[in-house]
Amino acid sequence: MLASMNKKKFAAEFRRLKKFRNLSEDERVLFAMSLSATPDERWERHEGFLKSHGLFTRSERKAFGFR
Amino acid sequence: MSAAILQGVPATTIDTDIWVELPPRQFVRLTAIIMHLGGIMLAPTVAALSDDTLVNFLPRVDGIGSFDKELKKARRIRWQGMIVPVVPLESLLKSKQAIRRPKDLAHIPLLKQTIRLQKKGRVLVKKPLDSKEKK
Repeated sequence: MLASMNKKKFAAEFRRLKKFRNLSEDERVLFAMSLSATPDERWERHEGFLKSHGLFTRSERKAFGFR
Repeated sequence: MSAAILQGVPATTIDTDIWVELPPRQFVRLTAIIMHLGGIMLAPTVAALSDDTLVNFLPRVDGIGSFDKELKKARRIRWQGMIVPVVPLESLLKSKQAIRRPKDLAHIPLLKQTIRLQKKGRVLVKKPLDSKEKK
């Protein structure tokens, strides 16, 4: 996940989000990662999340009770 | 939520909703496309693509304008080598606020937060591609 991240863009976005005081540090990291990414990187991250929870394939999802 | 994910909302979803301007009786045309691509139809409006991606075809989206109206407002995003029109976050928020299923209500704070964070200060999200195309 982090391999595909543009670290410079992430750092710039993270700095920008520092002015939002109502964000916790982990929220700031989460939003900085998401907002600094390209749509393809965001989608890759989303698919990685599903895979990490065993929800990517239909057979895996069925085991969780999805259609 | 696929449109939201592509626009920077840190969320996830099991399926991708695609809004199609087709009368329900013509949905068979979508079936033909899915079969051609090696996918299967799980229900009249639900398909599993060959890579196991789930797709929901929506004949309408509640809480927002007509297909044509929303298509004009859509953000054009470069995704997987294609330019894809996606419903803007503000419209997604309106739709979720109108539909109000538990999963929609759960997404509302995340959508609001992302809109707020994108609006204030420098925005790293690229401008919609259609604004360039008009020049």
